[in-house]
This record gives sequence, structure tokens and C-alpha cells, in this order.
Amino acid sequence: MKNTSELIPDEQIMEAVKNGELQQASLLFDRYNKRIFNFLRQLTNDSMLAEDLAQNVFLRLIKYRNSYRDGNRFQPWIYQMARNVFADHYQSVKNKMGSHVDVEKMSEHISDTEENHDEQEQLLHRSLARLSDEQRELLVLTRFQHLKYEEVAAIMNTTVANIKVKVHRAIGKLREHYFELEKG
Amino acid sequence: MEKEKLESLLIDYFDGQLNEADRTIVENELAQNESTSKLYHQLQQVMNLMDHSTNVAPSLSMRENFEKSLQAEISKSENPIESSAKGKQVFFTNWMIRAAAAVALIMVGVAIGRWINTTRETNQAIAELKEQVEANKKAMLIMLENQQSASQRVMGATVAYQLPQADDEIVNVLVKTMNEDPNTNVRLTALEALGKFYQQPHVRKELINALTAQKDPMVQIALIRLMVQMKEKQVVDELQKITRQENIMKAVKDEAHVGILKLS
Repeated sequence: MKNTSELIPDEQIMEAVKNGELQQASLLFDRYNKRIFNFLRQLTNDSMLAEDLAQNVFLRLIKYRNSYRDGNRFQPWIYQMARNVFADHYQSVKNKMGSHVDVEKMSEHISDTEENHDEQEQLLHRSLARLSDEQRELLVLTRFQHLKYEEVAAIMNTTVANIKVKVHRAIGKLREHYFELEKG
Repeated sequence: MEKEKLESLLIDYFDGQLNEADRTIVENELAQNESTSKLYHQLQQVMNLMDHSTNVAPSLSMRENFEKSLQAEISKSENPIESSAKGKQVFFTNWMIRAAAAVALIMVGVAIGRWINTTRETNQAIAELKEQVEANKKAMLIMLENQQSASQRVMGATVAYQLPQADDEIVNVLVKTMNEDPNTNVRLTALEALGKFYQQPHVRKELINALTAQKDPMVQIALIRLMVQMKEKQVVDELQKITRQENIMKAVKDEAHVGILKLS
């Protein structure tokens, strides 16, 4: 049987956190830590880095709790925060490494440090690295994280139809890169 | 058929998102056209890989770090004005009051400890906790309103000071105590408790009003200091009035001058 606290909607818990019941943030951590960590791991292809970034997401959740608007969906809000954390990190890497960072090379280099990747998954990540940032993120959200188009549209502040077109194009592009690399 | 449109149909077909008519079109195309069939199998392969990609759990240290940060934030939110807590003991000259305050602190510690632990439990536990908090609040209000004992009222105000936040009922009692209590120590302790919640608009308004209403020089001085700490510029006019009034103690006027300088 489910614990009764599991039945409380995310939004209600977040509102309690916002109203000073900070300890309740633990429940949101329990629900989302694995998903946010994997979202960032799939974007960065680096588990250690993803853990640091995920840590930042939950710190921001506590720190910026007052920016959560009552009545809004929680999931798009936390994913939006994770995207911001990733974007900030990406920007700081870019600043440190100079203005032109070859994302593909960076990602391919990072993927070499990951273990337990079978050959196909390696190939998949190298193909993903060749997509634009937006396309890669869309695929991570919809296919790896299994978010609905409606949810992604809310995160990216656009229409469902627009997201669907973009996701389909990204899958098409990914297929091209994947089989090009496979031929190799 | 245009390639992008065909790909889109094949993806929807894989996801089971097509209506009857479109599904028939795709199935015919797959049966008759070898290149479409190849394209579909390739799309299917990459989508399967993505959909079934391994999800791993983060390390335990992530949870530990989160819990540490959360506890730090909880402590921070409970003591937003560290400085106003300083100097508190100056007014606790009577050993009985000090002992009472110590007991109150322990009570609050236990109550908050329980509160923190219990919120992670089930709804039922949360309900019990609410009752507990409600009971503590009632006990505190009774102490604040105890006309027989100033030390009880000081203890009540000290308990209020330890609360993470105050609702309107608590604020109203504290305001009444600050403005009307016959004992200076009690008034000052009530003011300190209110000072902790000054970010709540209602409290802020009451504190500003008290500056005009308050006649006790000790409380007036403490109030002026708090206004400076709150960076409340709108009280500058009121402070100027205080400096001009004849029946006000010099020490209060001096403090008002300092306040005007700091706020202007």
C-alpha cells in the first residue's frame, strides 16, 4: 500500500515549502532526485558533473522557493530550474575555455570517461552530441525522461504542435548521424 | 511523399499515435516500399535505444549534501536577524526570568525538533504535529496574556521569538503586549519577537505605527534601532517630529537623530 504522503501532489508540497515548512522539501527530493540527475547526466554525459549540477538544482529549489507561483505545475518548474543550472554551467565552461567550444568534441571526450556503456549506447551519445543543443535537450526530455509533449511545451513556453515538429526533426537527424557514425 | 512528413508519420506510428486512416497509409507504404521499411527500422532502432536508456541512481552523498543544506536553510530561516538576538540578556536581570527563558528555549527546541522530524512522516503524523504546534501556540498565548506574572509574559514573548513564523493571532497579541503591557521588559521582549518577523507586511505596519504611539523611552529607542535595521526610510519624518517634541527624553531624541542620519 502506498504511503499516504505519496498521494500529496507535488504542487501542494511545494506550496508548503514556500510557506515555511522547509523540511517538506525532502519529499520533493525523494520524488525527483533520480530524474533530475539522469536528465543532467544525459545532457552532460558525465555522472560526476550531473550529480553536482543536480545538487545545485535542489539548492535552488530551497533558495528560490518564493519564486514558485502557487497554482503552477511543479514539474515544469523544476525542469526549468535544471535547464538553467545546466545553461549556467555550460556558459561558465565556455567562458573558461574561450569563445569557441566544440561541444561535440567535449561530449565525445567526456563519454570516454564513462564506463558501462555498451557500443550502441556509446554510438547513440556520440550521435546526440552532433545535434544542436535544443534538439539534444528535446530528445532527452521526451525520449529519455519520457515527458509528454504538453509538459515539454510548458517547460519551453511554446505550443505542443511546435514541440512535436521539433522532436520529430531531431529524431530524423539523430538517425542520420547514428547510421553515418556506424558506417564509420 | 516528402521525407520529413514520412519520417513524422513513421515516428507517430512507432509511438502508436496515428488514427486508423494514417496507420493504413503507413502500413501499405511499409509493405510496398523497401526504402521506407529500412527508414522505419532505423528510426525504430534509435528510438528504442533512447526509450530504454539506462537510468542510474545518484550516489548517497547527493542526499547527504541535500539534507545538510536543507538543515542549514531551516536554521537560517528561523533566525533571520541574528543581531537583534544580541543584547537580549541585558533585560533578563532577574534570575527567575532567565531560568524561565531557558525552560522556554528548551521547550521550543523540543517542539521544533519534533516538528522537523514529523513532517517527513505520513499525513496523520502531519495532522498530529499541527495539533502539537497549535497546543504550543495556545500555551504561548496564555503565557503572554497572564496578567499576574510579568515573567510568564516575558516567557511567552520569548517563545514567540523562537517561532519560525507568526500568524496574525500571534502578531496581534505581540503588538498589544508591546504597546500596552505595564512592564518594560515584557514590552521590549515583545518588540524583539516582532522585529524577527518584520518582513511580514502586517508586522512592519504595526511596528511603524508603534513609533508614534509608544511612550516608553526604552521601547522607543529599541524601535528606532529596529527601523534603522529594517532600512525603513518612510519613518524619517516621524523621527524628525520626535526630535522636536519637548516632552521626550534626550536619549530618545539622540537615537532619533542617529536614525535620521542612517536612513537619509
